[in-house]
Amino acid sequence: MARAAAPSVRRGKTASTGPPLVSAGLLLLLWWAAARAGVLGDGLVPTPWQTLKAAHAMWADGTLAADLRASLARAGQGFAYGATAGVALGFLTGHRPRVAALVSPVMSFLRPIPAIALVPLITAWFGIGEQAKHLVIAYAVFLAVWLYVHDGVARIPADYRRAARTLGVPAWRRLTEVLLPAAAPSVVTALRHGAGLAFLALVAAELGGAQSGIAYRLQVDGQFLRTDHMFVGIIELGLLGLAADALIALTGRRLIHWSTS
Amino acid sequence: MIRLEGVEVRYGDALAVAATDLEFAQGSFTSLLGPTGCGKSTLLNVVAGFVPPSGGRALMDGAPVTGPGSDRGMVFQHYALLPWFTARGNVEFALKRFGLPRAERRAHALRALDDVGLADAAEKYPAQLSGGMRQRVALARALAAEPRVLLMDEPFGALDAITRRRMQQLLAELWRRTGTTVVLVTHDVDEALVLSQRIVVMAAGPGRVIADHRMDDGTASPEDTRPRIVAQLDTEPR
Repeated sequence: MARAAAPSVRRGKTASTGPPLVSAGLLLLLWWAAARAGVLGDGLVPTPWQTLKAAHAMWADGTLAADLRASLARAGQGFAYGATAGVALGFLTGHRPRVAALVSPVMSFLRPIPAIALVPLITAWFGIGEQAKHLVIAYAVFLAVWLYVHDGVARIPADYRRAARTLGVPAWRRLTEVLLPAAAPSVVTALRHGAGLAFLALVAAELGGAQSGIAYRLQVDGQFLRTDHMFVGIIELGLLGLAADALIALTGRRLIHWSTS
Repeated sequence: MIRLEGVEVRYGDALAVAATDLEFAQGSFTSLLGPTGCGKSTLLNVVAGFVPPSGGRALMDGAPVTGPGSDRGMVFQHYALLPWFTARGNVEFALKRFGLPRAERRAHALRALDDVGLADAAEKYPAQLSGGMRQRVALARALAAEPRVLLMDEPFGALDAITRRRMQQLLAELWRRTGTTVVLVTHDVDEALVLSQRIVVMAAGPGRVIADHRMDDGTASPEDTRPRIVAQLDTEPR
C-alpha cells in the first residue's frame, strides 16, 4: 500500500513545474503593468525589459560576474563555516541533555541579535576584510542550523538507540548508522534554512564596507537612483537563494530515500 | 540466569516498582502480566539495562547489570526498526559485530528472515511492511545477535487479533528451537497462558508482584490457572 502511494507522491513533487511557471509569469505581468502605469513617477519602476537591458550592460562591463563571484564566495564560505559548526554542536547538544542545558540559554540569548547588529563590532575587531564578512554570515547560519539540528537529534526515538545497544552495536556505528541517518531530514531542513539566511546576512556583511558584491553594488546604484540596476541585484539575490534551496532540497531527497518528508 | 535482588525503581518521589525479588531460569519462558502502571515494563527495562534500579540489583549470570548488552536482546512494541535499512539491512545491522565476510553475513541474514517467514520481503523497507511483518523482522534481528535472553515489551500489542495469534505461534516455535530464555511483558492473560511456562502477576500503586504461577511442573493447567489470574487482576485496586 505504502509502496503504491510513494511513486505518485514523488511524481507530484517533480512534475509540478507548471504552477511555479504560472506564478512567475503572473509576477512578471504585474511588474510590467506597474512599470507602465508609472505608479511611482517616471522611471522609478523599471520595466522587465529595461531591467534585462541593465543586466546585459552589467554583464558586458564585467561587474555582474565580478559581484556574483565575490558574493557567492562570501555566502558559500560563511555558510560552510556556520553550517559545520551548527551541525556539530547540534549533534552534541541534541545527544547530551547536560551539554544542552549549558548551551541552550546562550543560543536563546544570541538568536534575537541579528547579524547586521554585529557588523559594526566585527568591523571594529576584524576590519573590512573577507574574514569579517565570513564571520557575519557564519554567525547567522550557525544559530539557525544549530536549532534545527539540535531539535532533530533530540527527537530521535530512544528505541533506535536502545535497540542498537542491545544488539551490541559499538558507539561509532551507532553514530554513523543510527544517529546520522535518523537526523538527516532535520539536517537538510537546517541547511535549507541556513542557506536562505546566508544571503540575508550577506547583504548585512557587504553593507559593512566592501568593494564588490551584489549588495555593495545595490548600495552604489542606490546613490545614483539607478533602479534598473538595483532590480538586477535584487533579482540576483532571490534567484541565488532559490537555486541554493533547490539544490539542497534535491540532494536531500536523493540521500533520504526512505523518508517522505 | 537472571536474578533480581530487591530491585526497586523510583522516578523522583514516585515509587514505580517496590522491592522485588525474581529469578528467571536459563531457557525458561516467563510472562510478566499486569495492568498499566504495574511496573512490568520498568522491570524489563532494568533487566535490559535501560533503567538503573534505585535500590537492589539485577544480575545476569551472576554479574551485575550496568547497562544494555548483546547478551540481552530486546523486542520493542513499536518494532524500533531502522527505516533507512531494508529488512535484510536491519538484520545485518545486528550481525556486523560477528565480523563475518560480507557474503556470509548476507546469507545469514536471509536465513534469519526465512526463519520468521519473510524470505520474500528481505529487500523491502520497514515502511513497505505491515505491522506483523515489521515485528517479524524485529524478532529476526533480535535473535540474529544471539542473545542469552530475549526481552519482549508487549511485542504484539499493536497488532490485530489474527496477526497476533500467528506471531504467538511463531514465537513459541522459535523459543522451542533456540532455547533462548524469554521474558515477555503483556497485559493479555490469554497470551501469557498460551506462551509461557510461568506467569508473574503484577499490580499497580506501587508496582509489585502479587502472584507467581508455574505451569511447567504439570500440577496446574492453563484452564485452572486462568480464573485465578483473572480474579487476582480484578480484586487488586488500581
